[in-house]
Amino acid sequence: MENNLKNLAFEWMIAEPEKYQLASDYYCQTRDVFQARIDRLVANLLKEKRIREEDVYIISAMAGEIGNNSFDHNLGKWSDVTGIFFGYAISEKLEIILADRGQGIFATLKKVKPELQNDSAALETAFLERISGRAPERRGNGLKFVKENIKSQKMHLTFLSGNAKAELNDIMEITETEDPIIGCLAIITL
Amino acid sequence: MPSHNNIIKNMIIELKKFGEILISRPSGREAYLAMAAYTTKDLGGDEIIEIDFSGIKVLTPSWADEVITPLAQKFKNLKLLNTENSSVQATLKTLREYSDLKI
Repeated sequence: MENNLKNLAFEWMIAEPEKYQLASDYYCQTRDVFQARIDRLVANLLKEKRIREEDVYIISAMAGEIGNNSFDHNLGKWSDVTGIFFGYAISEKLEIILADRGQGIFATLKKVKPELQNDSAALETAFLERISGRAPERRGNGLKFVKENIKSQKMHLTFLSGNAKAELNDIMEITETEDPIIGCLAIITL
Repeated sequence: MPSHNNIIKNMIIELKKFGEILISRPSGREAYLAMAAYTTKDLGGDEIIEIDFSGIKVLTPSWADEVITPLAQKFKNLKLLNTENSSVQATLKTLREYSDLKI
């Protein structure tokens, strides 16, 4: 199930938009739809009782931050498809997947930090530095929140943007991938 | 015995009235604007404001940064009540670290 969901997210990210129809269960065209799906995620996880209640709240907050980041930073500038992929699967582990076909972290942060050279440096900045991609608005604490709670709650995050991949648990490791993606893809595992 | 005029009641803002799952900046900003118009409009900076987190299931730094951070800047006697929820705790920690929240 998890692999199917991952494959579905990757397919959506690389597909030609006019030739690909993503199932409406996973597609959140607007922020309102995403909020409703987060509400449903919380209700379902609490009902299933396979995840500790406090973990349900934290992991939902992390998913909320990542998904809303996509809307915040791509408003009016989506590459082609408006909105995000959002799905979850639970078997032995809970896996939440979010993706967007937006500008990506490098393009977003380069406007406020022109010296950034590539996707990997941008990802490192996004997770570690106090910086707002929408300066002069004071923002930019969402991914720091995600990083700290991945560590403290013993979860795992894979985050891809462009040709960079960050793997986070107790530590963060950033590597380059062979196949760059448009936008961002995040997989939270508990 | 204090006169009726001397009885001061703190302003309590119950966040659950804005929803149980508070995650986005736009909804946080809308909540703050509603508070500013209807709840805190006539209050001075010295008033005691209590923010009650009871009933909140999911809170993110994005929503809270649009509400708690500006309230803390405007009112120096801000108190946070019922902050036991794990996402509330984690969000407040992030705001203290990255948004200069002093409470």
